[in-house]
Amino acid sequence: MDAETDSPRIGFIGAGNMAFGIAKGILSGNIRPENVKVSAPSLRNLGRFQELNITTTHSNTEVVCGSDIIFLAVKPHVVPLVLHEISPHVTHGHMIVSVAAGVTVATLEELLPLGSVVIRLMPNLPCVVLEGALLFARGTCATQDHGAMLRSLLHRCGLVEEGPEAWIDIHTGLSGSGVAFVYLFAEALAEGAVKMGMPSALAHSIASQTVLGAGRLLRESDKHPAQLRSEVCTPGGTTIYGLHALEQGGLRASTMGAVESATERARELGRVSAATRNGK
Amino acid sequence: MSVGFIGAGQVAHALVRGFTAAGVIASHKITASSPDTDLPTVQGLRKLGVHFTTSNKETVNKSDVLFLAVKPHIIPFVLDEIGPDIEDRHLIVSCAAGVTINSIEKKLLQYRANPKVMRCMTNTPVVVREGATVYATGTHAEVEDGKLLKQLMASVGFCTEVEEDLIDAVTGLSGSGPAYAFTAADALADGGVKMGLPRRLAERVGAQAMLGAARMLLDSEEHPAMFKDKVCTPGGATIHAMHVLESGGFRSLLINAVEASCSRAKELQKLKS
Repeated sequence: MDAETDSPRIGFIGAGNMAFGIAKGILSGNIRPENVKVSAPSLRNLGRFQELNITTTHSNTEVVCGSDIIFLAVKPHVVPLVLHEISPHVTHGHMIVSVAAGVTVATLEELLPLGSVVIRLMPNLPCVVLEGALLFARGTCATQDHGAMLRSLLHRCGLVEEGPEAWIDIHTGLSGSGVAFVYLFAEALAEGAVKMGMPSALAHSIASQTVLGAGRLLRESDKHPAQLRSEVCTPGGTTIYGLHALEQGGLRASTMGAVESATERARELGRVSAATRNGK
Repeated sequence: MSVGFIGAGQVAHALVRGFTAAGVIASHKITASSPDTDLPTVQGLRKLGVHFTTSNKETVNKSDVLFLAVKPHIIPFVLDEIGPDIEDRHLIVSCAAGVTINSIEKKLLQYRANPKVMRCMTNTPVVVREGATVYATGTHAEVEDGKLLKQLMASVGFCTEVEEDLIDAVTGLSGSGPAYAFTAADALADGGVKMGLPRRLAERVGAQAMLGAARMLLDSEEHPAMFKDKVCTPGGATIHAMHVLESGGFRSLLINAVEASCSRAKELQKLKS
């Protein structure tokens, strides 16, 4: 802990987009940059952390020894290597938070000393604009207090929820991949407008604002999306005509299928990475 | 007050069954007429204690509220026939799909200065007093006439006044709606039978499920989607079935059906003018 403020010292192993997004969120709370460290093998991604006055290093060990809460934000296949490297320095006082897709709590706990506090976190891309959706699952030795600590650290990153590990793959399908589904929808909205005669740049700009605006209204409302939808549909008006076309195109079914497909793939990848590790 | 039906087919029979079950009018105060005495509904009407005749004129003379319950293309002929016998007291209520108030008033104005005309769209479940009825008021009909009609029709289900231009949409939705529901019930029963249920049981629980769901909706202000959500346990049987329905375009089929029926009602109206 930082002796002065009694706030935890935060470390990041890996300096990619996810790490950066989470770091930004953490800093907008009451963690000071002096209490954050990040390591990466090359200088490539460290620049933007330095701009936030975060200490950067090439040494994973340095991050572990100088932090209380460590975010493991490396690519899944690198995780075993990193854990092997840092394991000798991990104590019961550390909290290891892994954001590596498909790497299970069981895998993490196996590669770390017995009794290590492990949490598996699945963020999503909009963390970088502090509008993320984050779901975490606690490992065997992570208590509710650990969960509460993580929650309070991350709450500026967006929506933070806890669940059983089984929900992480679903969260990946829904909200990890879901971001891309929304991009696809926004693109299609714009193309529809272009078809009807609007210039592309303007159409895209309006499409993205429409998605954003609708998203905000949805989040800020207590109402079911179906309710909001019905409220927008004037009898015989433009919206109900458009919605009918969407229903005819089977948008609901294909969206359900998309979440299902992405979730199944996340589950499969989880199995594959576990099998690969066992094979070693 | 006495009620007459020009026409003794499905609509007349259903309404009479509903009215008498509701006790809103005694059957001996009801007259029905039709040239065709062989219709099965004629038997039904007679059994209910309705005075049946082959003379439309007689029905007009014996009634205050006169329902025109014949097929749309017959309406002009009936109006020509009964026009001279219409009195000031008569309230003419047309149940014919696609026949406008204007067309009826035009015909009757040849015989009478201020014919009181109303137009309604009802549906078959009036028979069990669960009808859905809307009505539109003609140029010379008074507020009391609307109240009277509403009183009659509300005894056999839901009834409300609308602007005439909405009647075709109501035709598409609740006019034809029971047919959609019967078909759904039939198919649901088939599904049950496929999965091992005896047919009778399958029909019974399927129809009851539909009735129950409709009752829940009508008793609440909540959006149907909220009810659906409550039934769909995460990863459970129902949500899997919902995905199948969505994949088949269930919602858009229903939208299409309402649209097709409404469009046809409009088309039929144009054919007549």
